[in-house]
Amino acid sequence: MVTKTEETELISLENQVDNGGGGAWEYLCLVRKLKVRRSEKVVKHGLSILNDAKKRSSLGPDDWTLYEQVAVAAMDCQSLGVAKDCIKVLQKRFPESKRVGRLEAMLLEAKGSWQEAEEAYASLLEDNSLDQVIHKRKVALAKAQGNISGAIESLNKYLEIFMADHEAWRELAEIYVSLQMYKQAAFCYEELILSQPTIPLYHLAYADVLYTLGGLENLQNAKKYYASAIDLTGGKNTRALFGICLCSSAIAQLTKGKNREDKEGSQLQSLAAIALEKDYKQRAPGNLPLLTSALRSLTLSP
Amino acid sequence: MGIGVVVGVLGVLILFHAAYSTIQYRGLLKIMEEEFSGPPMNVVLELLLGLVLSMWAGLTVPGNFLSIHPDSEENRIVSLPANLDFMIFNHRGRVFPLEMNVKLKN
Repeated sequence: MVTKTEETELISLENQVDNGGGGAWEYLCLVRKLKVRRSEKVVKHGLSILNDAKKRSSLGPDDWTLYEQVAVAAMDCQSLGVAKDCIKVLQKRFPESKRVGRLEAMLLEAKGSWQEAEEAYASLLEDNSLDQVIHKRKVALAKAQGNISGAIESLNKYLEIFMADHEAWRELAEIYVSLQMYKQAAFCYEELILSQPTIPLYHLAYADVLYTLGGLENLQNAKKYYASAIDLTGGKNTRALFGICLCSSAIAQLTKGKNREDKEGSQLQSLAAIALEKDYKQRAPGNLPLLTSALRSLTLSP
Repeated sequence: MGIGVVVGVLGVLILFHAAYSTIQYRGLLKIMEEEFSGPPMNVVLELLLGLVLSMWAGLTVPGNFLSIHPDSEENRIVSLPANLDFMIFNHRGRVFPLEMNVKLKN
């Protein structure tokens, strides 16, 4: 999970490294720790370390990790030559390693030889049928081939065994959202909120799914989850604030016929609108007129 | 750090001295055959001073406090990690290859 402090640290370090200020190794470590996808920069700065014999030897045994990181990043950038060289070095050092075998299979994947990659993964699974990463790679392989239903099927099978793997739950939720299967996606997000209740982004995603599903009950629940996202972020999440406004106006529209005065709802909406206006005034004063007109159209429409 | 440790040691020493003074006082009481009514003033003062100093040292030496609020800058999660275990390689990066001619030298 990337917190605000870590994000600022990453950005400042990235600027420093890009402008030749040094600290490339620290940057690569941070990228690895935060699991962000900066493949192009990892290849560039990682190679500059690996090609410098003095710098590389100063890393000690950590340089093998760097080889792996650069190899994966190079595959992501389609510089297959670099990836191949890195894997060759690792292969020489660790001839029997499963981890290197996985990298080789990933290289096949990057080349687009799906059949061979699948065979490689299958042979790796024969040795250790409970290797989580390889099971996940197989899901990704199906997804890369465009076989989304196959990916869903194998992901579901995987989740039956490894239920605590929240990354897999998240992947499944995102696949379902991409297929517009919102009910199933909502289930996955419920699972994620249960396993990590303090992460506001899951609350936010769940609320988004509920809002998209529509219907009075779902909208009311969506509003609650937007509110919990605001609670967990201290009101600094703009999307959640907008969500409150949208949900309130949609609920007001649905309950217009029944003259049930929902005072609390309108109060919440105006509070969210005030918070939004304050935030825009501070950070993007140019867009303030856009915001006020959008908010007005929301309150006027019912 | 250095000052904190010195102050902490000083506080503990003062506490020891207070204990020593108390024992001495009780010995004195036995000799004078008086009833124990309460600790002497200097022991009470030493105890209070020792408490304050050791507490200050105990709070400063181990390090700073970390925030437990979910909405503080250190704890507020702004983005989820890229799901790297599920990363796929046939994206638009294939059409825009990296314009870099650096190779791994060995």
